[in-house]
Amino acid sequence: MAVKIYTIPTCPWCLKTKEFLKENKIKFEEINVASNQRAAKEIINKSGQTSVPIIDINGNLILGFDEKKLKKALKLK
Amino acid sequence: MKMSNKNFDVIIVGAGGVGLAAAMYSARLGLKTLVLGASHGSELPVGGVITTTNIVENYPGFIKLTGQELAKKIEEHAKSYKLAIIKEKKVVNIKKEKNCFYVQTESSKYKTLTIIFATGTKWKKLDVPGSKEYENKGVNYCALCDGPLFKNKIVSLVGGSDSAAKDALVLAEYAKKVYIIYRGEKIHPELVNMERIKKNKKIEIINNTNILEIKGDKFVKEIILDKHYRGNKKLKVDAVFVAIGHVALSDLAKKIGVKLNEKGEIIINHKDASTNVQGVFAAGDVTDKPFKQLITGVADGCTASYSAYEYITKNKVVSC
Repeated sequence: MAVKIYTIPTCPWCLKTKEFLKENKIKFEEINVASNQRAAKEIINKSGQTSVPIIDINGNLILGFDEKKLKKALKLK
Repeated sequence: MKMSNKNFDVIIVGAGGVGLAAAMYSARLGLKTLVLGASHGSELPVGGVITTTNIVENYPGFIKLTGQELAKKIEEHAKSYKLAIIKEKKVVNIKKEKNCFYVQTESSKYKTLTIIFATGTKWKKLDVPGSKEYENKGVNYCALCDGPLFKNKIVSLVGGSDSAAKDALVLAEYAKKVYIIYRGEKIHPELVNMERIKKNKKIEIINNTNILEIKGDKFVKEIILDKHYRGNKKLKVDAVFVAIGHVALSDLAKKIGVKLNEKGEIIINHKDASTNVQGVFAAGDVTDKPFKQLITGVADGCTASYSAYEYITKNKVVSC
């Protein structure tokens, strides 16, 4: 399962999302959109959202930290 | 719904800095303490609203640190007491029966002798045409969280408080231009932040002005002002950040008969943090205290804990 998370270091929900993934032993790639402007532009256009975190699970985007949606997408109990 | 087999002396509703400080003090006083909170609608994780403040410079003992660092330190301090349990669970209902309170989350129910409300506030939403449609599409509420997405863009910030000024300063770290739009005569941040605003060449203040409408395509493109600014009521911006104040999260308190003021804030006795309902206390931004800072809220949280302790020991309320 390919999991990418678009984050900003100062965003509390980004930290929360990363903690959630780590607790559930999900490997993920983190893209810091505060420093990577190209990635920022791409994900804003793709998601239609100017807010982070954005979580990409196998190409499906979850906007913001939503535990129920994350659990469903990651097939967690 | 499973009933937790643990009864508590105090349940603190809200897991921001104030709730965590109250937990530390309750546990210190020997009270079996449970903190429940996903900060109750403020839509923030444990740590609460201070985690959205970039730099904190008014908390004794720390000359300068980030809001997240401070929240983490307060959380660690609370957790250092074994009697304090912190669960990131949202409270959905509270009932009072005789001297006992039943506190319900989505998955569990707990029993307690006393309650401390530290539910804080949530951001007041901007209510103009386009504000809802473009929420998270250029209309944003957390400058610290989302400001970096607007590097080299033109952004506006609505509000005139110290929080608004701090948000404008955060935004100016990334954006090429920041307009502060304020309905009153003059913005009113703390002096130190006013000086920083004045010195920052990227920031321009538009006083005595309101936003009438937010327009765009997929994202925000412009705002319509109620007054001409440089000969035009239209202003091209890529974002509208909103910092127009907060709304007290007091619905749960109201449900069990706690009195609120006209702003929806919990009315407390400013001496002991008690409310009109026996066994119920409150602290922090959700209360009617006028000066709302973490430093004052934390102090009230400790007072509330001590009052809960006194209520239990003096009244010999030992079980329910």
